[in-house]
Amino acid sequence: MSERRVIVVGGGLAGLAATIRIAEAGIPVDLFSMCPVKRSHSVCAQGGINAANDIARQQGYSEYQHFDETLLGGDFLADQAPVLEMANFAPRVIDLLDRMGVPFNRTTEGFRDLRLFGGSLFKRTHFAGATTGQQLLYALDEQTRRWEVEGKVRKYEFWEFLRPVLDELDPDDAIGHVHSDKRCVGIVAQDMRTMQIRSFRADAVIMATGGCGLIFGKSTNSVICTGGAASRCYQAGAWYANGEMIQVHPTAIPGADKCRLMSESARGEGGRIWVPRKADDDRKPTDIPEEERLYFLEEKYPKYGNLVPRDIASREIFDICINQDLGVAGQNQVFLDLTHKDPEELDRKLGGILEIYEKFVGDDPRKVPMRIFPAVHYSMGGLWTQYTQGDYDPHQPHGAHNPGDTPPIATEPGHGLKLGASNNMMTNIPGLYAFGEVNFAYHGATRLGANALLSCIFDGLYNGLSVVNAVRDAEFSAADAPQSIFDHAVADEQTKTDALLEGAGSGEIPDELNPYIIGLELGEEMTAASTVVKTGDRMRQAMTKLDELSDRCSRMKLNDAAAWSNRTLSYARSLQDMVVLAKVILKGGLQREESRGSHYRLDFPDRDDENFFKTTVAEHVPSNPDPIRIFYCNVDARLVEPRARSYGEKKAKPEQPPAQTAGAGA
Amino acid sequence: MAASNAQQSGKRHIRLKILRQEAQDKLPRYETFDVQPEPGANVISCLQQIAARPVTASGEQSTPVAYDAGCLEEVCGACTMVINGRVRQSCSCLIDQIAPNDGDTITLEPMTKFPVIRDLWVDRSRLFHALKRTSSWVPIDSIYDRGPGPKELPDKQEPRYVLSTCMSCGCCLEACPQYNPRPDEKDWDEAFIGAHAISQVRLFNLHDTGKQLKSERLEALMGPGGVSDCGNAQNCVKVCPKEIPLTESIAAIGRAVTVHSIARWFTAR
Amino acid sequence: MGHEEEGTLAKRYFLLRRLHSLTGILPIGVFLIFHLTTNSSVLWGAANTRAHADDLPGRGIATFQHEVSFINNLPGLLIMEITLWAAIAFHAILGIWYATTGKSNTARYPHMDNRRYALQRLTGYIALLFILYHIATLRWGWSFLVPGGVTWGHEHAASTLALALRGSADSITVAGLAVSLFYFVGVTSAVFHFANGLWTAAITWGLTISTAAQRRWGVVCAGLGILLMAMAWGSVVGFLFTDPEKAREIESAMHPEEDSTEHTARATTDGAP
Repeated sequence: MSERRVIVVGGGLAGLAATIRIAEAGIPVDLFSMCPVKRSHSVCAQGGINAANDIARQQGYSEYQHFDETLLGGDFLADQAPVLEMANFAPRVIDLLDRMGVPFNRTTEGFRDLRLFGGSLFKRTHFAGATTGQQLLYALDEQTRRWEVEGKVRKYEFWEFLRPVLDELDPDDAIGHVHSDKRCVGIVAQDMRTMQIRSFRADAVIMATGGCGLIFGKSTNSVICTGGAASRCYQAGAWYANGEMIQVHPTAIPGADKCRLMSESARGEGGRIWVPRKADDDRKPTDIPEEERLYFLEEKYPKYGNLVPRDIASREIFDICINQDLGVAGQNQVFLDLTHKDPEELDRKLGGILEIYEKFVGDDPRKVPMRIFPAVHYSMGGLWTQYTQGDYDPHQPHGAHNPGDTPPIATEPGHGLKLGASNNMMTNIPGLYAFGEVNFAYHGATRLGANALLSCIFDGLYNGLSVVNAVRDAEFSAADAPQSIFDHAVADEQTKTDALLEGAGSGEIPDELNPYIIGLELGEEMTAASTVVKTGDRMRQAMTKLDELSDRCSRMKLNDAAAWSNRTLSYARSLQDMVVLAKVILKGGLQREESRGSHYRLDFPDRDDENFFKTTVAEHVPSNPDPIRIFYCNVDARLVEPRARSYGEKKAKPEQPPAQTAGAGA
Repeated sequence: MAASNAQQSGKRHIRLKILRQEAQDKLPRYETFDVQPEPGANVISCLQQIAARPVTASGEQSTPVAYDAGCLEEVCGACTMVINGRVRQSCSCLIDQIAPNDGDTITLEPMTKFPVIRDLWVDRSRLFHALKRTSSWVPIDSIYDRGPGPKELPDKQEPRYVLSTCMSCGCCLEACPQYNPRPDEKDWDEAFIGAHAISQVRLFNLHDTGKQLKSERLEALMGPGGVSDCGNAQNCVKVCPKEIPLTESIAAIGRAVTVHSIARWFTAR
Repeated sequence: MGHEEEGTLAKRYFLLRRLHSLTGILPIGVFLIFHLTTNSSVLWGAANTRAHADDLPGRGIATFQHEVSFINNLPGLLIMEITLWAAIAFHAILGIWYATTGKSNTARYPHMDNRRYALQRLTGYIALLFILYHIATLRWGWSFLVPGGVTWGHEHAASTLALALRGSADSITVAGLAVSLFYFVGVTSAVFHFANGLWTAAITWGLTISTAAQRRWGVVCAGLGILLMAMAWGSVVGFLFTDPEKAREIESAMHPEEDSTEHTARATTDGAP
């Protein structure tokens, strides 16, 4: 039997965690990334990583409640089994990262410190300064380097994934639920320096390529987060789920090149959001007396206050600025105020993010309230993945889980998902997996703060085993796939590249065909039509615009013809794929005629469980006039009964208030 | 403050003088572009403008400038380049600060210590290789659940955190007179390793499990290109964007190798 | 095996680097301190009331002569000298090798520390040239390199030295001035190189770790440097303005029997400070 290999595409938290998991099992990994993996977008995560912990447990918190909060946060759109498994596994993730040397903040006694984060009344967020994502990524990067030295990992940095290579699937070889007549046997990738295009064989391919923020132009994402890789899988036949669920982070710093995140931890550590009560109050913010400030989140949501989930906070800020015209200085911005806090404590707990503000805006947030506005931050949607249910199968779903209640399900692995089942987090195409942000599985209609890092690492560590098992047990080996399919795939990509480069670099390019201009227009249109507040009309209008953009994309002219390190080519190719994905996002949003989580429609302001308690799934059918086929899958909701997601809003129906325990409140 | 700065930069022009090089084997040349910075613009947003319409100041059609970029928040280290003769990240280089007046010129050059891939984009593989040379990781047993890591008091965690914010950008290497280009990979193991790697050794030697590899790391730093190759110019600490106390790390490792070599003389077989 | 070889290489390399650092302090640096103390006795000796002379400059000359004679009568002098020369050669050869691995960039990064880095290398080269000249002319008797062709005689320490620096007994010649200037630059370089080297050695060996400690030790090294610099410059100026004729008289008076210097020197040790 020839050597089995796994390809991991993407070197962020999910990709690296998977790499380590698989390499440790003795299977060699080829790791592809558009950048040196240490520079992946995971570094940008600031706030922390959630997990049940001993302190919170003693106050009545549990893994089960973390699970419940995640579901509630996601407005019950997530399948429940994977979320349960993730919440149950979370403390193990923290322990492992701790062992890897992540410098988690410590209490005076030397235990890991915790902070409060959105969507919970308990401190369950572990953090390392204000650069938790960076610290976690570095720990995994170091372990990956160790396996690289051992010869188990081969890195392909500055290589761009172009497409999966698919072979006919012999039904006898199928694993999991069969939704495709193809299997994934490798990838085609391009060296961004030499521009060489070549194919690589693998018995399993893990997509860990993150989000698609660049579709929205200025987002909080890194410039590499185009969503191109996910789109290429989608166009190759992988299903894309819940694309319309795009999280807008309530507090970002607007900038000329991107929007920079101001972590939720700024509010977790006591930051207050307000605007002057008078619309054109031009006094210095520090001169405005308390009674003339409108702390609109605290007034409307007395229990959670500034720590309501992100979609609610974004919408309220949007409402204050757009509808009530109360934005600071008449612009789209509100104050995020930390000036009442002790500067030394702020430096210790938030130093990194305060520096970012200072560095990129020029004001000292310890002295002057920060000016912030919502920005696209995270995609809950992603490649559709399947799983095998674990052994817990209740007869009756539970209602709300309250602090102190005995968790109905134990926390060993295997209750939510079946540990090591070959199809866990596998797309509809056998052999093609999706981990991390590009996997739609965990966050439903909106993601709770500090759950992203968790889902990424959980996918890599826990579901990495599924890939190991799938590769080990398979009868079929990618080495047996005919060479011709690889050659064809490479030739195809070469043709596409050549077509893009045709006529490139000769003279001035009209804006209409300029990829950079098309990209700007795409971003503006998507931000306007499909972020905080959506309507059917606006989205339909955007769809027309996208049709125009994809037509222009097909005639694009590049202003660089270089056959060496041509980043314009890379961008242009991604742009074509971004437009495809943008349409999926829009169409999913148009058809979801309800409001749920981050998907808020003015024309359908209520959640409609009867019709839309379902996962949107998009399939690429190139033969159809509209190649996007949308269908719906039922949500697995066997554990918890969906309930209203009100976060104690004053005018909402009264609900049983959770018993708030000492020390847990903000 | 910010708002007034932003208003100032409204409709003015600045000039970017960029050292361009089509490929490793091509000769570098300067090209100048005039751009109108947006409010709050940084070097990256100017480069983005140029990419859309790459016309030089003299009106010639050119090509987008190749550069490396990632987070644009100064945590990934990708967009490091030499700006007005000094190495730094281009994302955090605000136009209003570096070129406050109409018509000011900003010079952009690639880092000089690493091979140029194209224009401002360089290959920093040697930097990552250094982390292999020094076994910069905590040697955990396995990924299986074994409970938490070692308990750690804040007075140890805090310095460790600071050291751990190193984003491998290479500023310390670019500014170091002892760190010089080594195009041949074979030379990397004997050429000066640089402040970042020395500081990482300090980081891992501080960790209770990490220090299991202490001797290996120190010995890697005792050989050619190790800590003794530091010339104490102390530029590293002055250009480090994360303000990591690199010179303190160098001194601490100096002490560690001193102690290690004496101890070894007395105890090694 | 491979690993073991690497280990040996690392050990040897490390040993060489640390010996390089060490030799700069011991013996070279320590010798420099003694040497400058001796030489500057031409100035501070003026305060030596027991010296065999009447006026202040004379006392300096006498004290200096006394010091020189004392040193020249030390047992095992040649071995000490050879050790010193070997140390200097070792320090210099390795130093040059190390210096070639760096490429100064003070134009781009004009920080004080970086300038000192560049100066440390420059002063090393200058000091080496100077020391070679200094030893060749005053120890090995390569008098063709000395304007006026005077040969050093340790019985006539101040007078021959003054002649070497002045170029002529009567006045300061142009060539003499050039030699004096070279001395001035040479001793300045040597002192800077030592003081700055002492500062960096504390980092190299890991004595000063914190930035504050490095700053404090920097003050100490600067203080020592200033003191040594004063002695060095004082010596050069002192000898430059010493009247060789008068010096010779004083020295001769200290050695009544020209050819039994050893005995005479012993006889006059009562003036020892």
